[in-house]
Amino acid sequence: MAELTTTKLNAESHLILDQPLLRTPYELSRRNQKTAQRYVENTNKDILSNLTTATKAASKSTAPDATLASLDTMISKMQGLKRKMENLHEEEMRIHKSNRARLEHLQDLYEVQSLVDVKYDEWSRIRLSRLLVDYLLREGYSESAAHLAASQGIQDLVDVDAFVACHKIEKSLREEKSTTLALNWCKENAKELKKQQNYLEFQLRLQQYIELVRQGHEKGIGEQKLMEARAHAKKYLSNSGDFGLIGRAAGLLAYKPWDEVEPYASLYSPTRWTSLATLFIKTHHALYSLPPRPLLHIALSAGLSALKTPSCHSQYASTSGTPALSSSTTSVCPICSTELNDLARNVPYALHTKSIVESDPVVLPNGRVYGKERLRVFNEGLGTERGWVRDPGEGLGGEKWRESAVRKVFIM
Amino acid sequence: MPPQPPPSTAGGMQELLEQLEALEKTANLRSSIDDVQKAIDLLTAARNNIAEQPQTAPLTLAKLQDPLKRSLEQAQKDLKPIYSGLNKYGKALDKKFKDKPLPSASNDALSSHPQLINRAIAMHLLREGEFAVASTFVQEANRHPPHPEPTPNTPNPALNEPWEKDLAEGTLNSEKLQEQFVEMYHILDELRQKRNLGPAILWARQRSDVLEARGSNLEFELCRLQFVCHYAGYKAQSDDLMEDDSEIATGPLEAWNYARREFVTFQRRYAGEVRQLMGAMAYWPNILESPYARYFINDAAWEDVATSFTREFCSLLGLSADSPLYIAATAGAIALPHLLKLQSIMEKTRTEWTTQNELPVEIPLPPSYHFHSIFVCPVSKEQSTDQNPPVMMPCGHVIAHESLHRLSKGGRFKCPYCPSESHPKDAIKVFL
Repeated sequence: MAELTTTKLNAESHLILDQPLLRTPYELSRRNQKTAQRYVENTNKDILSNLTTATKAASKSTAPDATLASLDTMISKMQGLKRKMENLHEEEMRIHKSNRARLEHLQDLYEVQSLVDVKYDEWSRIRLSRLLVDYLLREGYSESAAHLAASQGIQDLVDVDAFVACHKIEKSLREEKSTTLALNWCKENAKELKKQQNYLEFQLRLQQYIELVRQGHEKGIGEQKLMEARAHAKKYLSNSGDFGLIGRAAGLLAYKPWDEVEPYASLYSPTRWTSLATLFIKTHHALYSLPPRPLLHIALSAGLSALKTPSCHSQYASTSGTPALSSSTTSVCPICSTELNDLARNVPYALHTKSIVESDPVVLPNGRVYGKERLRVFNEGLGTERGWVRDPGEGLGGEKWRESAVRKVFIM
Repeated sequence: MPPQPPPSTAGGMQELLEQLEALEKTANLRSSIDDVQKAIDLLTAARNNIAEQPQTAPLTLAKLQDPLKRSLEQAQKDLKPIYSGLNKYGKALDKKFKDKPLPSASNDALSSHPQLINRAIAMHLLREGEFAVASTFVQEANRHPPHPEPTPNTPNPALNEPWEKDLAEGTLNSEKLQEQFVEMYHILDELRQKRNLGPAILWARQRSDVLEARGSNLEFELCRLQFVCHYAGYKAQSDDLMEDDSEIATGPLEAWNYARREFVTFQRRYAGEVRQLMGAMAYWPNILESPYARYFINDAAWEDVATSFTREFCSLLGLSADSPLYIAATAGAIALPHLLKLQSIMEKTRTEWTTQNELPVEIPLPPSYHFHSIFVCPVSKEQSTDQNPPVMMPCGHVIAHESLHRLSKGGRFKCPYCPSESHPKDAIKVFL
């Protein structure tokens, strides 16, 4: 039979939520290395061909000025490369530093053996702050995210910059209806996107085409715009292989945005920008191994269910774990607390196969069950007259009974 | 020296840390940059050479060809260790998380209630004392209200229930809540740092009625500690014990005066404790050897009153003493391995989870994560609900309402746990 309670901490299986913490810096490092490689390869090719040209030129003419000028160009190109490499190196070191902080943070968990250890408590609080920052970043609350990260001193454990860059592009699609930033991003990550057979770039190009056609129809003088649109389609869309879509796109030339004829109306629809923004985020997160949903949702969904009991949304006041009723040794249930009560309404409650009750349970004439000791302590605190008891759930305002009316109850 | 035995947590992040160290130390862009610098030096030297002796230009350039090519190639070659280092790191990472899939969003019930999550976060920040962050967040969230997304249980989040609309519009009365938590932290700070009970006692006294009705001892605990402070000669804001115990016993005198002034209201409820405190008077100045010592040398007393103060303060606001967001996220992390295991079993056996209201597995949590009493009917093994509450038979045994009906079929029946017989109408509903 499975254990019903446990305080044992198994770090290895506890790290489910923490994979993205290490994935992101790894992906960033790889991207950084690839960028460096691209820079070096391109500059090398460039410089060597410059040198060949200069050597040829120098053998023909005796004027040194041209040679010097081409050498100067080469030197400044190489210096440009060096500057870029220095920047990438700085970035590289920054990523390593943050990665080290993350690995050490996770290693800390391996040093803790018990879920009731204070050290676990501290560790878990840092984890919550991480999850909160991740959530805030995803929702676009970057200012709050950066503020919280700084205040908790966990900047190395969160990816503020990556998300801020992502949101800038998303916003340019959603709000400014501009494809420029997103297309730049596609160009920077062309290789990886191709590997994933991602169609974000195609969708962006299609949107550009739609906008050209729209302008063509709207401006009356649009013949030129429509020509541009045709050229654009030929260049970017024709080799996609999706003939159905190309057919529909061609149909746009004949149907105007205000004709409201499907399937053209949905191509013209402004909601396409929202789907582009969503598609971009999906592509971005996949590329950086970021989970599609906030980790906070995942942790909370599981946690709310693990803690929830039928009492948390019952119409009857529970005799345990309830906030305003009585001061007692049991703490207030977090699911009953204002913060989470409504949120937990739609999640399933925890499965229990055995009753969990206070030791020595007794029942009052009104049917409410308490641990004998807690009932005694409460009535002492309340100053109830000797020989009488009051219900902790009602306090001084409620009924009182003779002690003899309190019965032992058997809960198996 | 014998080698250290491997720690029980062998593995952990060690392998990844070692790989990372290699990347940090050697496999980085530094050497490529040096190669680039070498190329720049070669080019600069050639340039200077030609500037001085223009006629050597063709020769100098021809001589430049090979070394330049070599250093450029070297720059490219020196990128390789980074590539292979990262590859190795990536493999180690895959290995580490091989059997730990990223949790899917299949049971995400929260996307449709972003306002509620935002409210929970704002309250969490406030109760953790992150006031500045909380105010940044409330402003940002009001500027950009979140977009609810449909989930299986709430397919149309746009049709929000009224309570969610209220939240969306007012988000939450964060200023009022913030004021309250500022007060709480002020009082706690006075208690813990300055050992000043004044603000806490004032707070408790103003809420005397509510606290008393809840059976709370907070006010008395605070005043008792104050009495002890007077007695021992503690002054608020200074930790020095008065040293002149040879002179008149000012401490006990002050405590005596304090007790006469303040303890009147406690006479009814705490007569016994008050008598004991007054009894301590007799033992001056040998209090530490007296039976009353436990009241007087108790460093934990300050932390105890701080804890019960926090609990009462939050309870009066209808809030739990520890951040629910913290407890829930932690419980979630503990529960996830169990839920994932279940998920993979269900995928393998192609079964579906049939009880929508209840999780299909039991999640073992530490005892401190149990807040309510739980009643599981010993007959049907079902957890009690409002529809199927626990009922007590006259013999004192408790079973679920439905089980009672199944057993009795409306007539007299024998308790399944003892010989006594009863009629269903004699059973009473009990509340846990």
